[in-house]
Amino acid sequence: MSYTEPIIQVNDLSVERNGTRVIEEAEFNVHSGDYVGVVGPNGGGKTTLLKSILGILPRQSGEIRIFGDPIDSFRQWNRLAFVSQDSINFDVNFPMSVRELISLGRISRKNIARPLKKNDWEKVDEVLEFMGLNQVAERRIGQLSGGQRQRVFVAKAMVRNPEVLILDEPVSGIDAEAQEKFYMRLGNLNRTHGTTILIVSHDLASVFCRMSHVISVNRRVYVSEIRPGTDPNDVLQKVYGDHFHFIFHEHTCEGIFDDEL
Amino acid sequence: MNIHAKEYLMTNFNNIIQLLGYRFFQYALIGGSVAALACALVGLFVVLRKESMIGDGVAHISFGGIALGLFLDVDPILSALMVSIASVLGISYLKRRGLAESSSAIALMLAIGFSTGLIIISLAGGFNIEIFSFLFGSILTISNHDLIIISALGAITILVVGVFYKELLSITFDEEASRLMGIPVKELSALFNILLATTIVLSIKVVGMILVTALIVLPSLTALQLNRDFRMTAILSIVVGVVSVVLGVFISAIFDVATSGVIVFTLVTMFLAVSGVKMLA
Repeated sequence: MSYTEPIIQVNDLSVERNGTRVIEEAEFNVHSGDYVGVVGPNGGGKTTLLKSILGILPRQSGEIRIFGDPIDSFRQWNRLAFVSQDSINFDVNFPMSVRELISLGRISRKNIARPLKKNDWEKVDEVLEFMGLNQVAERRIGQLSGGQRQRVFVAKAMVRNPEVLILDEPVSGIDAEAQEKFYMRLGNLNRTHGTTILIVSHDLASVFCRMSHVISVNRRVYVSEIRPGTDPNDVLQKVYGDHFHFIFHEHTCEGIFDDEL
Repeated sequence: MNIHAKEYLMTNFNNIIQLLGYRFFQYALIGGSVAALACALVGLFVVLRKESMIGDGVAHISFGGIALGLFLDVDPILSALMVSIASVLGISYLKRRGLAESSSAIALMLAIGFSTGLIIISLAGGFNIEIFSFLFGSILTISNHDLIIISALGAITILVVGVFYKELLSITFDEEASRLMGIPVKELSALFNILLATTIVLSIKVVGMILVTALIVLPSLTALQLNRDFRMTAILSIVVGVVSVVLGVFISAIFDVATSGVIVFTLVTMFLAVSGVKMLA
């Protein structure tokens, strides 16, 4: 962890939905360059946590700052990108090519009402390549497989060159091999570009092998740094309960760490 | 084809060549094409936002504005524009405040606009003929003054949609994601609704307020059958819209039938033809 000001600061955050408390007194920071896995049981509040951090969902109490600015008056949207869980549930008849959709990611407050420039399209091509999507660039988004769709939305976020990338379950429903590749690409982005990443994941092995921190959420929110020797069960039992036992062999991480794109 | 029919068509063909020399016919073609272009462009976003009925609603609301204009002796197109813009902003307000969902909000504004129009007309003792031309369109009576208004409004609409093309596409596809990218979603949605109202009003002279929704919805619906990307779909809907108006004006002149009816009938035929070919393919 670095000593600079945290990128995301969450103080005493509580969120209620339909009268029940979903997040209780969450308190944590995310620093520049962190690679954070957000884990926890279904219905535990992972999506709610991310959406309230971004100001999409209202909160009961607490203070959230991103890049030092309170979320309620936050304007620096060009510095972060978010991929929602629902983004892939679009109208399959929507007339748009993969390249067109990803190019929309280049929109920011600075180029509103102006056409995209050459360097925007170059960035689009670069990310298409990085995400292994150049074969389908001209295809209509409705024709893509589930895995390709998810990659397209992550590409749309990446094309913004964000300092922080927040992903809500981007790999649900893709096969294990494609997931592996996906985490590899993210790890690469984190290491080479220093992009701070927050990702909701059910792949606990990937979280503990690849990421620097884990945020576990089940109404209560716990943050732990992942170090060699960190016992995942110490972290996970707080949110999954004592009966939960995650069988984890650290040696399985070998090879995962070695891979490069 | 029998000899009489041939003669009839030949005579009419010669008449059309003559028609092209007439000012009113030129105005009809130019004004109609501008309206078709604006309708097709705006209509694609409307269809993709799944708000096709707003076109129909606003067109009916504009009836109140037209009646008001005729009553107060101001240009009915301009009074209709004011009333329509107020109504789309009213519809968005009702939606945003959670007072009514989209279709109910449209129904409410429609009721206000149309009933007010009827009351004004009856108070004025009825100005039947003029009202008729707005209800069913009268493209062949577009005057120099009308053409200036239609062209100016059309040019503004096309220009603004062109300038905010990528933002409007982004908002149409995913509002929440657009907001998180820093796009001023609320402001641009309001702007778009104003453009929609403008487009509808400028098209009233062309096809009439009852059929204007066809000019908004059908070109995009036809183009969408062809499964292309957004840019191509937009171009195709504009082509379909403009072709239908031009064909409609000529065909109606040959057979001497109501122009707005023929324009919309041409649109429907194109839609059915494209869908038919697609189903067979």
